[in-house]
Amino acid sequence: MAIDEMTAPAGDTGSARPIMKVENLSVVFPRPDASDITAVHDFSLSVTEGEFIGIMGEPGCGKSTAAMAMLGLVRPPGRIATGTVEFLGQDLGKLDEEELRAIRGKDIGMIVQNPRHSLHPMIRVGTQISNVYRAHNDVSKQEAWEHSIEMLRMVGINDPERRVKAYAHELSSGMAQRVLIAIALSSQPKLLIADEPTSGLDVTIQAQFLDEMWDNVQKTRSSVVLVTQDLGIVANYCDRVVIMHQGTIVEVAEVHDFFNSPQHEYSKAILGLQRRAQEKGVAIAKVDEKAPPLLRIEDLTMHFPIRASKSKVHAAEQVSFEIKPGECLGLVGESGSGKTTVGRCLLRLEEPTSGSINFHDVDLASVSREEFRKNRANMQIVFQDPLDSLNPRWTIKQVLEEPLKLHSDMDQEQRLDRIRELLKLVGLEESFVQALPKEISAGRQQRVSIARAIASNPDFIVLDEPTSALTPETTAEIIELLIDLSNKLGIAYLFISHDLTTVKFICHRVVVMYLGQIVEIGTKDQVFETPRHPYAKALLSAHLFPDVANRRVDREVRESLQGEIPSPITENLPKGCYLFGRCPSQVEKCRNMPQELTELEDGRLVRCWRVQEGELTD
Amino acid sequence: MTTDSTSSGTPEDINPHLELDITKKRRQIDIVKKFREEKLFAFGIIVVFLSIFLAFFGPSIAPIDPTLATGDVSFPPPPLADWPGLLWQVMTTDMENPPHWFGTDSSGLDIFSRTIAAPRTDMSIALLAALVSLVVGTVLGLLAGYYKNIWTEILMRTSDLMQAFPVFITAMILVALSGRNTANIIFALGLVYTPIFIRLTRAEVLSQKTRGYVEAARAVGNREWVVAFRHVLPNSVVPSLIQTSTTIGFAILLTAGLSFVGAGVRPPTPEWGLMIAQGSNNIVHGEWWESVFPGIAISLTVFGYATVGHGLEEDYR
Amino acid sequence: MIWRFVVRRVLIAILQLVGISLVVFFLIRLLPADPVARLVGFNATQVAYDQAEAALGLNKSVIQQLGDYLGIMSTAKYDGIAQGYLGDSWVTGSPISEEIGRFLPVTLELITYSLLIAFLIAVPVGITSAMRPDGVGAKITFFWGLFAGSQPEFWWGLMFVFFFFTWWWEQFGFFLAPAPLGRINPMLIEPAVITGFILVDSILSLNFEAFVDAAWHLMLPVFTLVFIVSGPIIKMIRQNMVRVLRSDFILYARSCGLPSRSVSLYALRAAMAPAMTLIGIFYGFLLGGAVPIEVIFALGGLGEYSIRSILSFDYPAIQGTVLIIAMVSLLVYLTIDILHAFLDPRITF
Repeated sequence: MAIDEMTAPAGDTGSARPIMKVENLSVVFPRPDASDITAVHDFSLSVTEGEFIGIMGEPGCGKSTAAMAMLGLVRPPGRIATGTVEFLGQDLGKLDEEELRAIRGKDIGMIVQNPRHSLHPMIRVGTQISNVYRAHNDVSKQEAWEHSIEMLRMVGINDPERRVKAYAHELSSGMAQRVLIAIALSSQPKLLIADEPTSGLDVTIQAQFLDEMWDNVQKTRSSVVLVTQDLGIVANYCDRVVIMHQGTIVEVAEVHDFFNSPQHEYSKAILGLQRRAQEKGVAIAKVDEKAPPLLRIEDLTMHFPIRASKSKVHAAEQVSFEIKPGECLGLVGESGSGKTTVGRCLLRLEEPTSGSINFHDVDLASVSREEFRKNRANMQIVFQDPLDSLNPRWTIKQVLEEPLKLHSDMDQEQRLDRIRELLKLVGLEESFVQALPKEISAGRQQRVSIARAIASNPDFIVLDEPTSALTPETTAEIIELLIDLSNKLGIAYLFISHDLTTVKFICHRVVVMYLGQIVEIGTKDQVFETPRHPYAKALLSAHLFPDVANRRVDREVRESLQGEIPSPITENLPKGCYLFGRCPSQVEKCRNMPQELTELEDGRLVRCWRVQEGELTD
Repeated sequence: MTTDSTSSGTPEDINPHLELDITKKRRQIDIVKKFREEKLFAFGIIVVFLSIFLAFFGPSIAPIDPTLATGDVSFPPPPLADWPGLLWQVMTTDMENPPHWFGTDSSGLDIFSRTIAAPRTDMSIALLAALVSLVVGTVLGLLAGYYKNIWTEILMRTSDLMQAFPVFITAMILVALSGRNTANIIFALGLVYTPIFIRLTRAEVLSQKTRGYVEAARAVGNREWVVAFRHVLPNSVVPSLIQTSTTIGFAILLTAGLSFVGAGVRPPTPEWGLMIAQGSNNIVHGEWWESVFPGIAISLTVFGYATVGHGLEEDYR
Repeated sequence: MIWRFVVRRVLIAILQLVGISLVVFFLIRLLPADPVARLVGFNATQVAYDQAEAALGLNKSVIQQLGDYLGIMSTAKYDGIAQGYLGDSWVTGSPISEEIGRFLPVTLELITYSLLIAFLIAVPVGITSAMRPDGVGAKITFFWGLFAGSQPEFWWGLMFVFFFFTWWWEQFGFFLAPAPLGRINPMLIEPAVITGFILVDSILSLNFEAFVDAAWHLMLPVFTLVFIVSGPIIKMIRQNMVRVLRSDFILYARSCGLPSRSVSLYALRAAMAPAMTLIGIFYGFLLGGAVPIEVIFALGGLGEYSIRSILSFDYPAIQGTVLIIAMVSLLVYLTIDILHAFLDPRITF
């Protein structure tokens, strides 16, 4: 069988001994009133010492279930139907519950997604770490407690003596993730199974973790099985990749082979955009540089008051930029950067604290809400979660009809014609008009959202993370659709995203934000090729582009930021440069010196005095 | 490049008709399927229909006038063995004195006739009270959840206070002090059950409000009240609709309970709770039939409504 | 920290009580009842009517009545709520607090025992049925949870009386349960009232004969309530436990190789905390909801007192009853909340 051949260890790790061998594993979930669902079907995989394996696939393809089943665990009411798992020569299926237990958490460590929900909500994290440690080591309570503090210190948690007494809800998800890593590493496992360990984490934090995990593998010759749906992680860290689709493995390949010559149709689809861009050159049309700007925002500031407190959330601070007709401006940043707030303020979904929004030479920030409502025909938005942004009880026809009823005086017949036209524009069949949102796939839902946005012929659309809830292959399709629509209809976009890979495909210019401030604005090439601001540099370096020719683990210096992003509330904000404390290039002067956004000779704007003074080059 | 080429060859499009089939399936009413497959739910649906049928036609199909005293006082029901013969007689001959299937009470009223005539009172009270609290509670709950101002704050505080009132005693006060008739009982029960619906709707509205489609409806250019009533409301009523079934059951219990303690409808109105109360004086003397049959009727009816409520709730989750 | 929480909650509870006393005051005066006519009879002369009205203070304006009731800017000779006095009954003339003091412990005793027993049964049953969802036991539990919660408790009480008292005597010539005529055999010497809980009092006064008889009399009413409330309690405990067993942290705890005993303790801990709030909810519900059961067994509890006051339009007694019931339930909620806050660190003070 083809898959068996593919599961054989790849060349460079051939001499190493196998740690785990999984054969024909199947997991079924019984349903009370229907036939059982087979979540994992005939899953076979062997893991060798020192290997970093990625299991990839769309949500619901069974990858997480398969990873759990390697430990002999299934979420109730599911069960393992067939298959054997051999770990260090032992058949796990033949062990009794106690022997299995002794292996779990000791020789095989587990890191799961959703770290805060994976810790018991009512037990101190220190007790939880101690409990696991004591389950595998014969130590006293006191020793285990001290060990927990040591482990927390090791995974880089500040003030572990205090944090060890915290409860899960008191930790940020980054910190909770570190606790899980501390638990997983505390018994020095030979195999680490990590199920989307960085989902929900920001890219700079994600890089810190994955680097740590990779270094650990190198140091101890242990192995990692990493479940993910991020091509970037796979390309940058994994030695081998397993592609799953609908419960089955469709391809197992060495990582370079996978990216360079995927075999299975589904693998090709995942890598769609990259490949098509290379072959055909997918791109958005050039913009007329001399045209007057379509939209110009100045000093847009948004502060959210905090209940029962004097401090505020500084979501956006004096944000200014402009967008030309037909231009696509990328707005990037991590959580708390204020990028989404800026987009929402533009559409007055939030009322900005101050600043002006000039659109077609009218200041939209100062008109009445009723006045603004009429303007909505010209300015639209596409949201992140496609299913969530469609009324669950409305058919596609009703969804698309609403803007037409509001902004035009078409009759019934004309509206139907327009709906057909819109569906065609976004690449949907006419037969979908009677479907409900939940009955169509996520990609199609997002197409409907886009159709709704262009229904009233706007000349500007805010795209608020339009692809981050989608699988890689759907992301590629949506990006291509957006490029196509802009070229056909001349719509300008504000493309808000944390995913630099997609930004790179679609945007003309890029704005980088950090803690509510713009730190750099430049053309796509300027920002992506030679970022100048230290934060922009770190962000670019930490972002995992799906490019196997330039893997992060192969780099000599893996640039990254220290610590975590502070939440942008008044008392947390540094007095001087907002990056102070995390910046690799900081000097004492940065501590108290507020930074100005200033234009450099090449036309870009940067908020860093050292760059402006020419102290930081390259 | 055309949009067609973007979607060709992707797994999403391997079977373009697969999703359309689902659309067709939706058109079959789920309740029909559920009725066939789940016995308890089927039982509940039958109870619901039967109770509503009797509310309309119960008094008319009762073989003996339910408020007319016959000469037979405290008659026990005929032994089960005699039932087939009696049934045959009823169907074939025109009997002057039809049999007392469930016996008679101490005033000579026919218990069978009273038991099937009672839904006219019990069910209209329960259904109308539930309807009143559903409508009032849902609208107030929508306002309280969607708009945050001093008035909705007062509304919620009042609703909280009302929930701190003991339901049974409050209902007793409302009915006894405003006059023990059907309309007042409907009003009283409607009032005591309204806070539940305010709460349910408000909680649902609060969670729906954060959903993307609400934001989208605003961004498309709808006025605020249109967003509230056309988008949020229809998506927030389902928990309340499910709760209605349970509330109808509780309202039947409360109606009967009020009559039982002497604070409900007045005799000789055929009403289950009243019948049980009248029978309770004689049950220690062995006249069990006066209380047993109306009690079984309540027990099965309320259980029926509870199973429907439970079944719908499971589907909703 | 915890004290601030308690103080804040007590203050809120006091505000709520003030709100409740206002609502009940206006509510009964809004309704079209004529307590004077009820008291003097419909055939009384106008003079007698006016005298009675003046005696009850109902000839005053509503605002003055409110002042008298609250004891703030009172125009009456007697105290009001602010002075801790609930007024005198219009029917018996004795102070309401004294009367309620006699009736309330009966109700409290009944529902405390019932809830205690119901929980002792429901917790293990609910948990076992959640752990073995395919077993016959789970199916019965499921049915029971749905059925018992939707039953007319007064009818079942009556049926139990018929079966264990009447029918049993006819069949076997002895009583399995006593006649439903009170808390204790009237031929026995009642224990002195110390706590008002007859079982506790009879032990405290070393009257074991009374203890046995009182327990025998409480048997059926408690059984009836347990029969009814155990259903929904089992249902909710089962749902909680099922949810916890499928949660991420249980799966994760197992994947870390914790011994199954520890995993069970993790699950129990998470499932029990929310179940505790149920005690409060049911306690509050039964305080006013056990009325028909008290009537059937003629226990002489607060429910019967409230029926008597309501049907005779005894306004001060109605106000007092509602206020006391609200106060007890708020007290129970508060206690449960404090315990809950100790158990669950996610609850912030």
